[in-house]
Amino acid sequence: MTDRRRINGPPSGTRPAVFAASLNSASNIATGRPQRQRQPNELRKIFLKTGLIPSASGSSYLEYEPSASLAAARSSPKCLIPPSSALKLACTVHGPKPLPRSATFSPNLVLTTHVKYAPFAARKRKGHIRDASERDLGVHLETALRGVIVAERWPKSGLDITITILEAEDDRWWGDAPDSHDAPWGIMNVLAGCITAASAAISDARIDCLDLIAGGVAAIVADESEDVEAKPKLMLDTDPAEHRVILSACVVAYMPARDEITEIWLKGDSSKALLGTDYKRSGHEALLDGAVDAARGAHSVLAEAVRESAVRFAGLAPGGGVMQ
Amino acid sequence: MAPAAAAAAQPAPPSLSLPPSQFARLQPHAYLLAHLSPPPSSNQPSIRANGRAPSQFRVTSANTGSLTHTNGSAVVRLGDTTAVCGVRAEILHTEDIASWSVSRPTPASSSPTGNKRRKLTDSTAKLSAESENKEEDGDDESQIQDFSLLVPNLSLSTGCAPGFIPGAPPSALAQSLSHQILTLLHSTRLVRAEDLRIWYQPPNLGPEELERHNENEQMDVDAPQGEVDLEKNKEIKAFWVLYIDIMIISLAGNPFDAAWAAVLAALRDTKLARAWWDVDNEMVVCSDAVSEARKLSLRGLPISSTFCVFEADAASGWRAVVIPDAEEEKELDDSTRKGIQRRWVLADPDGYEEGLSQERICVVVDKEQDGKGKTVIMKLEKNGGWAVDTKELKTLVDISAQRWEDLKQILEQC
Repeated sequence: MTDRRRINGPPSGTRPAVFAASLNSASNIATGRPQRQRQPNELRKIFLKTGLIPSASGSSYLEYEPSASLAAARSSPKCLIPPSSALKLACTVHGPKPLPRSATFSPNLVLTTHVKYAPFAARKRKGHIRDASERDLGVHLETALRGVIVAERWPKSGLDITITILEAEDDRWWGDAPDSHDAPWGIMNVLAGCITAASAAISDARIDCLDLIAGGVAAIVADESEDVEAKPKLMLDTDPAEHRVILSACVVAYMPARDEITEIWLKGDSSKALLGTDYKRSGHEALLDGAVDAARGAHSVLAEAVRESAVRFAGLAPGGGVMQ
Repeated sequence: MAPAAAAAAQPAPPSLSLPPSQFARLQPHAYLLAHLSPPPSSNQPSIRANGRAPSQFRVTSANTGSLTHTNGSAVVRLGDTTAVCGVRAEILHTEDIASWSVSRPTPASSSPTGNKRRKLTDSTAKLSAESENKEEDGDDESQIQDFSLLVPNLSLSTGCAPGFIPGAPPSALAQSLSHQILTLLHSTRLVRAEDLRIWYQPPNLGPEELERHNENEQMDVDAPQGEVDLEKNKEIKAFWVLYIDIMIISLAGNPFDAAWAAVLAALRDTKLARAWWDVDNEMVVCSDAVSEARKLSLRGLPISSTFCVFEADAASGWRAVVIPDAEEEKELDDSTRKGIQRRWVLADPDGYEEGLSQERICVVVDKEQDGKGKTVIMKLEKNGGWAVDTKELKTLVDISAQRWEDLKQILEQC
């Protein structure tokens, strides 16, 4: 069944390009897995800007700083295969707007979230219709945001949040066999980015919130190392391309001022991970604390972006001395 | 009653005048008209509500190559309209094309004629070069169209404007824009089919080689013959298919110009890896070296400019479309001579102006010899009214030619 509303490619389908380097494993070692250049508790820089889409009531654009390997590959390109990728997404908020007549009465604001990857966002081409993982992201985002918005201020209204992901995080290093990582880890970084960007866009749309909400990711990774004895380590804001094995990862949506968490998503087995002796807590507690720390880091960027948005709004406000 | 009483109780009574932003919303047509035809006493120039002159385009910026997972990408901002375009190349094997062996004669039967042509061009190279070029061009177009090697899709469901519901199937506007881009790609023949072909050269088999080794002295005589043999066996094993996806991130009027500029910038940025047919694996394999990758060689630089016509008569949209007779024409001419303008052609309309006009003109022009030659019209589309006549279209083409210069500079700088 072809999609008749879009322009379809050749009916027999096409195959993604296969690089000679990925066929023979010897050259894999030559290029090498990108190395994490940051400290374990150091986050990537975040670029967050609000109000780039004037037709929406609120909007934001978020971009992560490219990792050291990607930045190097960009400045002096040698290989066509990108070593890793950096998250880029745009978020728009439309509303609050009246619900359609056919909708049933709702005393609260009805929140709709919608996350869509651009077809060129990931290493594998995405379809035009939302797949299960994108819907899943939308649900996670909705739960994260529902706890923040003061929904009873807008009865019978709806709020649409749309996120377009222009570039997603990798799930694993491209050179690894497709089954070497058991779960799609990149989606967790994407969710953290979505939460932070959505919070900025909601504030930009002047929707009443309890607090700003920031997303953070932490993971327990077993890094490539010579000695087998090496303990798994806790890392904040992990780029999955930089690690050979991710044992467990966690993303939280966290409100710093109230010290509340509205969403936890923990994947993988953290119980077996034996962190060093200086860690007195169990694996998942350490993971949660790490994710909260990462969210605190993202919050400082978020607060700055929202402040900028407020300054812009004050300048544009009709009562701001433009008239009379 | 209560709010009115409260307002009255305030120390300063609210004035009856509306702030401009509210007037613009309540009376959009009158608002724009007042800007374009200010009262003669005010001595104000006629400008659009957004502060531009009628033939002025919005500030345009372009940025290429920022998306990691694409072969070529571009972001084009046209005022508040933003389009992101990513080009992804995938491989279509000829064995997957159902009509491949039917539509194309088998290599064995086709190559002799091909050879003849090649020999001919060798002898009378200069004379027939042009005709051969044309022949190949014809071949080009049909292959790109027949096997749909260019797949542009435009998405508006990105939350770019309040009207488009995300997750819904593409709206009529999105479908029409995608199709316009596709037809423009085909009709301008921007991409060369030769760039998209992946050839395979079967190696010469053993015995022949040996034979040649023996008669080493005759090598020079044999060599051209050998080359011809090689040419004969050469076959297309696969094509690159370019998926051109355009996301309109922000929509504030004139999506087509922004999308087309983004497509153009992304195609200019596109690099295809060197690819060859790997006999052992029976698949096409690419080299990952950037030094071996090559850019597309595009034909020309067609640039589109969109205009809309704003009429002073607010009910123009309701009026029956009647071509004016001679008397009415005269009347119109008179009024323009007197300085009472009744319609304005606005370049690069924003969302507000688009909503107030019926008639739309889209001109796609290119200039021969990289800007030094004459202007060529690649596409001219006009619909929704009869206000713009031949004379005005000529001026619009001139404005588009001017725009071509400006945009060329912007695209070359990014």
